[in-house]
Amino acid sequence: MQDIVKEDDILLEVRNISLSFGGVKALEDVSFDIRKGEVRAIIGPNGAGKSSMLNVINGFYHPQEGQIWFNGQLRNRMKPHQVAKLGIARTFQNIALFKGMSTLDNLMTGRYIKMHSNLFAQMIWKGPAQREEIEHRQKVEEIIDFLKIQSIRKTPVGKLPYGMQKRVELGRALAAESKLLLLDEPMAGMNLEEKEDMCRFVLDVNEQFGTTIALIEHDMGVVMDISNRVVVLDYGKKLADGSPDEVRNNAAVIDAYLGVSHD
Amino acid sequence: MTPDFLHTIEVILNGLMAGVMYSLVALGFVLIFKASGIFNYAQGVMALFAALTLVGFQTGQVPFSHLINELFGTQIHHWGPGMNNLIAILLTIVVMIVFAWLVEKLVLQHMVNQEPIILFMATIGLAFFMEGLGDLMWGADIKTLDVGIPSGGSFWWEDVTRTWVSEGYDYYGMYIDLLDVYATGIAVLLVTILTLFSQFTKTGRALRAVADDHQAALTVGISLRTIWVIVWSIAGIVALVAGIMWGSKSGVQFSLSLIALKALPVLILGGFTSIPGAIIGGLIIGVGEKLFEFWIGPLVGGATENWFAYVLALFFLMFRPQGLFGERIIERV
Ligand SMILES: Nc1ncnc2c1ncn2[C@@H]1O[C@H](COP(=O)(O)OP(=O)(O)OP(=O)(O)O)[C@@H](O)[C@H]1O
Ligand SMILES: [Mg+2]
Repeated sequence: MQDIVKEDDILLEVRNISLSFGGVKALEDVSFDIRKGEVRAIIGPNGAGKSSMLNVINGFYHPQEGQIWFNGQLRNRMKPHQVAKLGIARTFQNIALFKGMSTLDNLMTGRYIKMHSNLFAQMIWKGPAQREEIEHRQKVEEIIDFLKIQSIRKTPVGKLPYGMQKRVELGRALAAESKLLLLDEPMAGMNLEEKEDMCRFVLDVNEQFGTTIALIEHDMGVVMDISNRVVVLDYGKKLADGSPDEVRNNAAVIDAYLGVSHD
Repeated sequence: MTPDFLHTIEVILNGLMAGVMYSLVALGFVLIFKASGIFNYAQGVMALFAALTLVGFQTGQVPFSHLINELFGTQIHHWGPGMNNLIAILLTIVVMIVFAWLVEKLVLQHMVNQEPIILFMATIGLAFFMEGLGDLMWGADIKTLDVGIPSGGSFWWEDVTRTWVSEGYDYYGMYIDLLDVYATGIAVLLVTILTLFSQFTKTGRALRAVADDHQAALTVGISLRTIWVIVWSIAGIVALVAGIMWGSKSGVQFSLSLIALKALPVLILGGFTSIPGAIIGGLIIGVGEKLFEFWIGPLVGGATENWFAYVLALFFLMFRPQGLFGERIIERV
């Protein structure tokens, strides 16, 4: 246990996580770590427990057993908004945006944890609160430029096509300038061109901003291309863990994907 | 213009201003409903409670004096001559914020993820509790409330409108109560401030975010509980404004809590999740009620204002259940 804490290149570690819903075991004794600055892929067949794992990390689900270490510290049971303040941002498999709000407002809301003016200052508006708004607005505009979504700045995101919504959701997560970014199938349901764009963005975020990324993805080509290490889940259990090459040649993994079909 | 036509305009104007009151109460409902999916039955009682507290502060009443006198055989009623209007209003706002915090702490916090119907019943309980508490703290007698808003007919408006009538008619001018005019001005100001706040501040955006999607709001670091306290506080302040308006006009009395019932048809018209809907719905009910009474009332023996709003709401329920502007009503109620 001690040696892990000393290793300061590990950003997040989950240890022996078990999570069940009634009789369904979504995760069983799963452990892995995420190193600072890497792109870590989480893969596995449908229902393997990938999203559940992100929900555990992000505080939506609370595992019955196991520990979560973040930045070398054992984390207590936390609510999602507290986890966000720690520096963990995420996107969702089925997109959770503020549909009635504009792209700009969605991204500004993404900066919530970065803004500190109190309620009273906000009501006065002039002064600190206004300065803060302008400053954060600038940061948001940078992200908008980065993701090339200038043309939809004022559009209510509920009206945007699916691919664009995925991009805005990424933007909102980026706006928090978090240490760890959890992406749940950011490319699912996209056409080839959109997928390539999204891949580019993920890599750029990782390289330019040095953000650590954990990514769930079904497209093996994408996974092999952009990730440093891959963890494979199947039926809630960890099946394999290693470099993309190691994982690709792992017999158990090949079985899980090609062998017995899951339901 | 003929006197008849001018009469109609007068009725419409008065209806609009009566509608402002309905709009305000409905606004309080919508704010809470959007943020937490709770239909807050206590909104009307909150207006009553706020008005009672305001009068209590203003006149220097000792809270719970009946209880204290009963228990200790004392004879205290007032601690002093009362206080300045502004200070009394600010103190009442503080009380409403404390109340919001207590509601979150003692009720909502323990009921997250409950069925909407359970939450609704909790607010019914809350309504009865507050009514009793208001009674116990400030007494059950009808109180006059005067915060210095001018009232009475506007002579200026009467003079102006008298000149509008065509040659050869007798016309005395329109009657408009100054109190209504000021009340409307205050309501417009309140809504404008709320709108600006929600559009251009961090917390305002957080309020909209929570109203839009709880899961997403949590993910960006917004604490639902903090937002609920803020929303209930705002609803409390809106209730105070409604309470002041109503109380200045008809005295502060327990029938004020029944205004909540009038808000129901307003919400059915405007939709439970739309703030513009609440405002426009309130105005439509206000005008509709007065016009109906003016035109149809005499034919059916009057007193149509008691039921018009509900019948109108019934028609809406049959033909446009989501209201004029509402969305997602079926999923959430
Ligand atoms: N909130 C929940 N309540 C009950 N069961 C759940 C819940 N969330 C997940 N599960 C169950 O846990 C298991 C793992 O689901 P999870 O969504 O984590 O899989 P996944 O790997 O993300 O699959 P997919 O590739 O389809 O997204 C499934 O059997 C699922 O039904
Ligand atoms: Mg999933």
